[in-house]
Amino acid sequence: MAKGDVDIAAALVAAALAGPLACEREDCELRVDPSDAEPSLATRTSGLYPGPHAEDPSHLVRTALAPRPLVNQKNERNAYALSEGKRLYSAYNCRGCHANGGGGMGPALMDDGWIYGGKAEQIVETIVKGRPGGMPAFGGRIPEFQVRQIAAFVRSLSGNVAGDAAPSRDTRGHLGGWVIDPQSIKPGTRMPQHNFAPEDLHALLDYLQSLK
Amino acid sequence: MNTESDPVTTAIEEISTRSDAPERSARASATSDDSLHEQLERVWRRRPGVLGRLASTNHKDVGLRFIVTAFVFFALAGVLALVMRLQLAKPGNTLVNPDLYNQLFTTHGSAMMFLFAVPVMEGMGLYLVPLMVGARNVAFPRLMAYAYWTFLASGILLFGGLAMNIGPDMGWFGYVPLSGPEYSPGKRVDLWSQMITLVEIASMALAVDIIVTILKLRAPGMSLGRMPLFVWTQLVTGFMVIFAMPAVALGSTLLTLDRLTNVGTHFFNVAEGGDAILWQHLFWFFGHPDVYIIFIPATGFISSIVAAFCRRPVFGYTPLVLSIIAIGFIGFGVWVHHMFVTPIPDLGQGMFTAASMMIVIPSGVQIFCWTATFWLARRVHVRTPLLFVLGFFATFVIGGLTGVMLASVSIDTQVHDTFFVVAHLHYVLIGGAIFPLIGAIYFWFPKFTGRMASEGWGRVSFWLLFAGFHMTFYPQHHLGFHGMPRRIYTYGAETGWGYLNLLSTVGAFTLGLGVLTFATNLLVSLKRGPRAGPNPWGAGTLEWAAASPPASYNFAYPPTCHGREPVWENPPDAPVITGLSTDKRELLCTTLMDAAPDHRYAVAGNSLWPLALAIPTATALITGGMFHPAGAVYSAVGVAVALCGWFWASGGRKGQEGGGPLTKD
Repeated sequence: MAKGDVDIAAALVAAALAGPLACEREDCELRVDPSDAEPSLATRTSGLYPGPHAEDPSHLVRTALAPRPLVNQKNERNAYALSEGKRLYSAYNCRGCHANGGGGMGPALMDDGWIYGGKAEQIVETIVKGRPGGMPAFGGRIPEFQVRQIAAFVRSLSGNVAGDAAPSRDTRGHLGGWVIDPQSIKPGTRMPQHNFAPEDLHALLDYLQSLK
Repeated sequence: MNTESDPVTTAIEEISTRSDAPERSARASATSDDSLHEQLERVWRRRPGVLGRLASTNHKDVGLRFIVTAFVFFALAGVLALVMRLQLAKPGNTLVNPDLYNQLFTTHGSAMMFLFAVPVMEGMGLYLVPLMVGARNVAFPRLMAYAYWTFLASGILLFGGLAMNIGPDMGWFGYVPLSGPEYSPGKRVDLWSQMITLVEIASMALAVDIIVTILKLRAPGMSLGRMPLFVWTQLVTGFMVIFAMPAVALGSTLLTLDRLTNVGTHFFNVAEGGDAILWQHLFWFFGHPDVYIIFIPATGFISSIVAAFCRRPVFGYTPLVLSIIAIGFIGFGVWVHHMFVTPIPDLGQGMFTAASMMIVIPSGVQIFCWTATFWLARRVHVRTPLLFVLGFFATFVIGGLTGVMLASVSIDTQVHDTFFVVAHLHYVLIGGAIFPLIGAIYFWFPKFTGRMASEGWGRVSFWLLFAGFHMTFYPQHHLGFHGMPRRIYTYGAETGWGYLNLLSTVGAFTLGLGVLTFATNLLVSLKRGPRAGPNPWGAGTLEWAAASPPASYNFAYPPTCHGREPVWENPPDAPVITGLSTDKRELLCTTLMDAAPDHRYAVAGNSLWPLALAIPTATALITGGMFHPAGAVYSAVGVAVALCGWFWASGGRKGQEGGGPLTKD
């Protein structure tokens, strides 16, 4: 039996050695840096900010020498950030104009056309500062880390983030509902109803899902 | 024992007069005992080498594997608990971040409940039940081996996941919508629900195996009314597993379907007409009986230990058996007391409060029966195993009392999700199951290994565990009353919880030291302990009639049973079974109620098919449940191949896949 135990122990050690494969996809940043929790203001000029960790001066000064990375790469590879972005996208009523990415009053977000640029920092800027033609400025209203999560989610709508991290439960049925009976999903939406033959509908959904 | 009117003795005489039996017994008596042992060893032992170990279908090999593996998971989960206690030792601690803390408590809870408590109890049953009923193996040896491999896979999945930052982080009962796709993105919950499904497959397979072994393979004469209490507890537990585990396996499967992007059902998605409370019902319909699935086998350990050290049968056999069965039934009627803060109708709350309080009655009957046994004993021999039973009494009664408090809706809603609940559940689970279990390990260690564990170090480990346990968990009652919620990763100094938390942390490390002492004692005794005879404690059940450790075939001459404590009560000339084949693995099936000899039955020998089936089973769940449903379809090919091999007709050679000719080691 002793040898059998050694086998078991070896298997467990092997499992533990797989640890270096740890993936940042799974990180959950449940407590954000206090500076990121501030409402995002595009006009920020100083790295100084107030915060609760007065005893630790390293928290007080985010050094100006290392500017905040605007590329949103970590969020775009992180399942939790993308999922939060999706939740906030609804919570802040982005879908009021952009629907679930297909567009309404506002332009579609799930195609590959961008009016003001599709890079992460450009989307952040669009959200914070607003754009002519109806996009309001959310600067000062949404904490910065949330803006970046929303931006990451917006990029996921057009298939620009890692597929294994993208949020789930955008089902085919949900998508199909938008095509054939949008009022049932979003009462009052301006999206017209389309009557497709079943095979055409499925071809369309195949295409739409391939965009993701 | 009045043997003249005993119908079983008549039946034994009948079977020995069957046409081929006298011939066989004549052959057996013609050869010496040594060659009989050699012949049986050749048929029943496992093949040498690593492959031989993997192919072993001996209940003692697999039972010990279950016990040892479960204790490894226990130790790992215990280390996670120590990290959590370190984090909570002072206010505002930053040892672990909230994300890791969530993974720690979820993995700790899941591992302790799913990978330790249930499997270790079934592992004890697997090892001891065939010995106690006088059989040579369990009824379905390959099913048992298969259960081990799926269990091992689920454990590697959970701890491997934690090592790879995919540890589940939503709490061990995985409530939706938190565990649903919206709030638990990534693969963490997927991994958890596959772990659940895998380990429940193992539990159910073992339950079936143990039930059939008990009902059909008992020694002639061991009618239901003579079954050892330990065997009764395993029987009731087996049935509870069969009724409880499908609920959670169904729940984890529905959760998987909800979460898989390519499937995307809405069983628990309220926005699409699903029902989040459904999850809680499915989970707790398993979850509360699970507490008794863990506790009832522990009462079997206690009855065995108490009888052995009081040198008399446990007082009140019939009320004890009836209360075990009553707990088995009532245990299925209390699950909603976990859900008192959900919208349950008043009548439902009342009904589940009443049922939760009612379960105190059979539990109390058990406590009184054991107490009466002590009272009636001429002399009580207080050795390490009995110390743990005494520790059980002190601890479990406290846990039971807080259980009565929590059964009351008004108190429950006040302390819901506070440390009071944490304290209560550790009092009943550690006090009610782990203390008796550790006592049982000390008690049967001579049987498992042939050597005695150190008595002195055993006592040291008991006092460390007992003191450490109460120091850890008693303060948590007060923390709960002072409002400390469970599952928080830190707290502010202004709450005033710091002092009691520090006390609790010190206790946790004392507890850890106790576990370390226990493990060291066993490991050292394994090599250096004094040799134990077959029956070092002078106990009365049949496992003590076998050698220590038992031979691969358990009994050269399987015994018959003439009382509830056969070793004490069997007359010296009690008949033995001689008609079984020595060329293949053959067992004697007896009738369900009276255990009258019925027929001989060949069980499968060594086999690699259980492993070959477990691999595609695990692959199907892990690939299909975590990534893409097609994974299950492709793995089904492997399952089909392994099942074909498993069920391939043996052409009358069943049971002959033995260890082959003996080589001189």
